[in-house]
Amino acid sequence: MDFKLPENTTMIADTARRYLKDNYSFDTYIAQLNESNHLEANRWQSMNDLGWFGLPFAESVGGYGGSLLDVCAIVKELGAALCLDPFVDLIVSPGKLLEYANTPASLALLDRIIAGEERVACGLYDRHAGYHVLNPSLRLNGERLSGQKHVVSDGGVADAVLVSAMSGDELAIVALPFDACDVERYRLLDGSRAASLTLDDVLITDEMVLCRGDAAKQAVSAWFDYLCALDCARMYGACREVYQATLEYARTRKQFGTTIGSFQVIQHYLVDAFIDLQQLESMLLMVSVKGESANVCERGRATAAAKAYYANRAVGITQQGIQIHGGVGVTEELNIGHYFRLVTHASLSHGDREHHMSRFIQAGEKQNEVV
Amino acid sequence: MNLDFSNDEKEFRKSIRQWMKENVPDDIRSCTARGAMPDKSMQQRWERLLGSQGWLTTTWPEQYGGPGWSATQRYIFDLERALAGAPPTSPFGVAMVGPVLYTFGSEAQKAHWLPGIQSGETLWCQGYSEPNAGSDLASLKTRATLNGDHYLVNGQKIWTTQAHWADMMFCLVRTDSSVKPQQGISFLLIDMKTPGIEVRPIYSIDGHHHLNEVYFTDVKVPVGNMVGKEGMGWTIAKFLLTHERTTIAGVADIHYEISRLKTAMAALPTENDKEQAKRRLAALEVDLMALEYTNFRTVAATDEGKPFGPESSGLKIKGTELQQRVSQAMVETGGLMSLPWDNEEPIGEQIFNQASRRYNFLRACTIYGGSNEIQKNVLAKMLLGL
Repeated sequence: MDFKLPENTTMIADTARRYLKDNYSFDTYIAQLNESNHLEANRWQSMNDLGWFGLPFAESVGGYGGSLLDVCAIVKELGAALCLDPFVDLIVSPGKLLEYANTPASLALLDRIIAGEERVACGLYDRHAGYHVLNPSLRLNGERLSGQKHVVSDGGVADAVLVSAMSGDELAIVALPFDACDVERYRLLDGSRAASLTLDDVLITDEMVLCRGDAAKQAVSAWFDYLCALDCARMYGACREVYQATLEYARTRKQFGTTIGSFQVIQHYLVDAFIDLQQLESMLLMVSVKGESANVCERGRATAAAKAYYANRAVGITQQGIQIHGGVGVTEELNIGHYFRLVTHASLSHGDREHHMSRFIQAGEKQNEVV
Repeated sequence: MNLDFSNDEKEFRKSIRQWMKENVPDDIRSCTARGAMPDKSMQQRWERLLGSQGWLTTTWPEQYGGPGWSATQRYIFDLERALAGAPPTSPFGVAMVGPVLYTFGSEAQKAHWLPGIQSGETLWCQGYSEPNAGSDLASLKTRATLNGDHYLVNGQKIWTTQAHWADMMFCLVRTDSSVKPQQGISFLLIDMKTPGIEVRPIYSIDGHHHLNEVYFTDVKVPVGNMVGKEGMGWTIAKFLLTHERTTIAGVADIHYEISRLKTAMAALPTENDKEQAKRRLAALEVDLMALEYTNFRTVAATDEGKPFGPESSGLKIKGTELQQRVSQAMVETGGLMSLPWDNEEPIGEQIFNQASRRYNFLRACTIYGGSNEIQKNVLAKMLLGL
């Protein structure tokens, strides 16, 4: 086995870290938090210039052939910087769904996303289906699409959306303009922008249906696993920052005439966080490789395990980070509470702990059948 | 990045699996499958069998008779050993005093003691803890006084695992009281048959005899039995803390216990019971995966010549916690079937009959080898700089 990152991945990570250090401070984040439009033209162009728009996609579909490991390296740094630029929401998420759908229409749209010409979001969740993305409540009856989607993450600016719908007992992926829907926009727990869409007999033409049946199911399932891995990367980046900041705080904050880091209880909290972070890193390396495995069962088991583990331990690190910071930890002024929100958010998006425990059990049973 | 074993390693794994299948004695296999612990004769029979293959001392350098395996191969061997239902080898000779001897011992000491460890003939025990020196080991009081060609040892050790089985003890003794506590400690090898040694049993909460008190009254130990110089005991003890930690997490044996838990789960009477047990099991398997991949990282790093240092203490902490949780899950899965203590015939499935004993036994694993709290103190100081 070999756990060394490929040289190219290390370079991507270093570039991302440097770029964000130079261009995205905590103040930048706070300012963006108060905006409803999260697409900042200069930084968006910079990300394009860095090659990030094409990186996640295979060369055969016009991308630069980066691996999930590469994309995780970027998303980890975005998490560490609390960056709200909608790179995942408007590039990776819709792009991977279109790539996995792999139809002429989906790949044509992917081309335009890579070129930075389209702002497309993914709408795969709804109130009734919860996390069960293969069984949405949106209905495509002939040419008419009706129902509801929520938590459509779009940076507040998407013009179009990819929605999943049941057409009879078949899953379909449909692309449609935002303005065909009744749109309600809001901010999410991590500060990002999203929308709820209500569709009332929206007229759907054949060319708007990108993919159907098993192909659609496979695409959505692969998309879900990919996004789960990115959630873990984002949480890892945030947890690493919280751990380092908390350790630094314990070394310098004085009470009772000495640093609080000299107290055994604080030392043990921090050692627990250190060990958890070490294991979170192991799980991230594991899921960054297996999260796009061709073996669907292995892929599902890996992402389910990683997300379930993160929902437990990554959230724990940020909660403990607040606790050790004391009063200042619960203020909007300090970044710790913002990391806590980001990590909690990511632990709930694309499946919470219980959902992934169930998936993990199912994947294990399927694996036993195969063996 | 590559998360798979190489083809050679896969072949190695197959051959070890086959050997285990053919060679783990049935009585030992069924003892382990019940969740019981092998007695002295089983343990020694197994270790001698490994010794005859040259597989008892897998971590030793080739020049001292190790098989020359990579850390990955050692990991695979340990995994297949556990999955075949064979017990872990007793650590005192193979993993502790052996490496001390080939690192700090004289040529005469190596020639005299290493062969017996390698073959599984000599059983060792560890004389560290004392009634008033547990976690605070440096305050130990057992005294060794130089008296011509031998030391006279007086004092008491406690929590001495397998002292009642052992031929030899490696012992930390105080040879100088006038210096800092750590500097006055020496490392002495004591023949357990020497007059003046009394071993008294301590029964553990699993109802079995693993631990002992050992009393020393004017015990004569030849000067040639001191490893290194007087005052080097603390250095040697610290060396052992960071020596070969690729199996410290107990991942292999946890895998085996999880497989027993799966067997147990299948035997549950109702679907509802099974459903609950599945979720309990899944939570443990997820945590095992995190531990296992961290362990893989230490194994891979060791093979690159960059072994983990103190950060491997995290593996000990997480590994022992998980061992306890798995044993608890077994008891919980059995429910009422886990309650009988001394019955020959199980009231339900055989697998639950020893579950509560094992659960009791494993309370010790977060205490021995430096309690988890002490491990955290060490990590805070050495890694976190607190």
